[in-house]
Amino acid sequence: MSGHDHPQAIGGKMLDPLMKILLAVFGVSALVMAYRFVTGIGSVSNMTDGFTWGIWEPINVVVFTGIGAGAYGVGLLCYLLNKGQYHGLVRPAVLLGAIAYTLGGSSIMIALGRYWNAVTLPIVPWWNLSSALLEVAVCVMMYVMVLWIEVLPAIFDGAAQSKSPRWSAIGKRWGARMAKAMPYIIALAILLPTMHQSSLGGLYLIAGPKLHPLWHTALLPTLFLVSCLSMGYGAVVVLVNILRLNWNAKQDQALFASMSKVNAGFLLLYVVLRLGDIVLHGKLRFLGADFATFLFVVEMALFIAPAVMFVMPGVQRNRGKLFGAALLAILAGAVYRADTYMTMYRPAGWTADGKSIAAGWDYFPSVGETIVTVGMAAVGMAIFVFISRLFPVVVVDQGKKSTIGRGEVRAASGH
Amino acid sequence: MTISRRDLLKGAVAAGAAVAIPATAEARHEIEPLPDAVGMLFDSTLCVGCRACQSACKVANKLPEDKVEANGGVYDAPNDLNSTTKNVIKAFPAGDTQHYMKQQCMHCVDPSCVSVCMLGALHKEGEGKRDFKGEKKGTGIVLWDKWTCVGCRYCQIGCAFNVPKFEWFEAFPAIVKCELCRHRRDEQKSGPLAVANPACCEVCPREAVVFGYRKDLLAEAKRRVAADPQRYNPHVYGEHDGGGTQVLYLAAAGVQFHDLGLPDLPERSQAEFSESVSHAPYLYGVTPIALYAAMAFVINRNKKKEEAAEHGEEGKR
Repeated sequence: MSGHDHPQAIGGKMLDPLMKILLAVFGVSALVMAYRFVTGIGSVSNMTDGFTWGIWEPINVVVFTGIGAGAYGVGLLCYLLNKGQYHGLVRPAVLLGAIAYTLGGSSIMIALGRYWNAVTLPIVPWWNLSSALLEVAVCVMMYVMVLWIEVLPAIFDGAAQSKSPRWSAIGKRWGARMAKAMPYIIALAILLPTMHQSSLGGLYLIAGPKLHPLWHTALLPTLFLVSCLSMGYGAVVVLVNILRLNWNAKQDQALFASMSKVNAGFLLLYVVLRLGDIVLHGKLRFLGADFATFLFVVEMALFIAPAVMFVMPGVQRNRGKLFGAALLAILAGAVYRADTYMTMYRPAGWTADGKSIAAGWDYFPSVGETIVTVGMAAVGMAIFVFISRLFPVVVVDQGKKSTIGRGEVRAASGH
Repeated sequence: MTISRRDLLKGAVAAGAAVAIPATAEARHEIEPLPDAVGMLFDSTLCVGCRACQSACKVANKLPEDKVEANGGVYDAPNDLNSTTKNVIKAFPAGDTQHYMKQQCMHCVDPSCVSVCMLGALHKEGEGKRDFKGEKKGTGIVLWDKWTCVGCRYCQIGCAFNVPKFEWFEAFPAIVKCELCRHRRDEQKSGPLAVANPACCEVCPREAVVFGYRKDLLAEAKRRVAADPQRYNPHVYGEHDGGGTQVLYLAAAGVQFHDLGLPDLPERSQAEFSESVSHAPYLYGVTPIALYAAMAFVINRNKKKEEAAEHGEEGKR
């Protein structure tokens, strides 16, 4: 392991003020959830038969897992393209992914009307393989397990460093066993998100006439796959920046710069695909002085701006600017996903010239719905803090004259 | 140690392939109406809006009133399909008169709700994923099964007619929609009545809505149009719209179906489009397995390379 920095447990007081706030927010949302299970979804949300998914699916599942895709993106670089210098980012990214996906999965259980029947989901002969949602459900459940298995090396590592000889022995033995199995688990951890992130886009293929023509395309699966990567890389940069500010986590700016150049590639690929699709299918006529065009232009700007920033040396060198660009990259994917799932969805559909057809439904998220979403995000942060304090996840900067390996020194000096 | 152009190029090629595959997708075959499918024919030129069908539906399906208070009284007056209303009559002003429209499940030939339903809770009669006793095959009636529905409401996203409804204020909610009064069928009878017996058709005083085999209803609709072309819009809605529906509609001459609340849909069903695009990259399951094997191989090789390099470095020290 000489080429890599060693992550270490952060330690410190568990119930600090931040933790107390996060748990309090989650507590409030747990009350709302409990109320929902007694009185029905309609009593805490503004969801209707017209806007049946509200914000829980679009935000808690589709946006959260996009943020969690950092594990997928870093895994792709580190293991598949063998860029060993990204090793230090793997554990935080995987933990973020495991938490984001777990929250996405739990949010589904709250959103499902007949959640008790979900126990029948593992019955393979009942699977309707035509359903994109079934693909997402099965794939996400498997991926959540895979992600927590990927977190295990950090836990075993922590046990191995423990003072108790018993824990230490267990950690060492299982750590070694895990290391052997890891390549096969990592391959699964790359395959599964490729499948379900594209299926998340594929979900809305069926919505056809209900989705605005500028958003409805056969490329939905591809666009969702590309946007999860741009969100994921952005999320890793943002996460490590926050960890540096709070816990003095090691942040290799040159590494971020090269990862962000990859991200610029994905952001631009998205823009090229989206624009190319619209031009080739003669959808330019839907652009005009209306809300749809405004949103479309906002989305394009949100994808282009971070892409341009990521390739500028001034941004690459500057922590704050790169952090800002990464935030924009997350926002771009999040807005695209929310627009597809909510903003540009109309139950009665759109006319041939792109005007929404009036229906008896309007939607704006209720306070209860929003609290559940915020509470889920809060408990996610709390779990991240909890695990990072107890187990070696984050690589901490040991000081200016560090013992960092030669690989990183080379990376830091050259761009 | 930065990402080389070659890597980016490789990524671009892979992404390009991912895009190209759906484009060359072999389309999932088109679903034809079942030969003995049953359905309804609604002739909006005959409906006078008495709403006897609405009341009969509630009685036949044991649905509670949708109570609306007005003018000091309480009325069962649903303004749309909802969790207590499987059938509704709506009035649409058209020209100098009023047209009445009946709304209920269309029992599509290739239903979106059936295509998207995770465990086949919504399924064509006799073709569900679970072993359903007492269901006849070939009727084409879209049924809902309470044992496999998880309440995800994806059917509501998929249905172009916004038919499936959800019980929003129940702790243990169900999906509510017309099942063509399949429970009122009479095995003693022959023909379509042995399959189902919709209360709305039975009660309609003007036979504005009639029940029967789809093929007969389609022929009847075309006969009416041919017999009195001045009276009718020549288009029989549901013959091909959205891949075809088992409930067919006739409108008055000069009245467009979208003015009566029915969506303009292409002839290709949305389910066929969605399934073709989604399934194509999987190549019947070959792609994921091949991809997994290839990635496991590359990752394993990379790991060994890296371990060898690390031992080398340590040796030099």
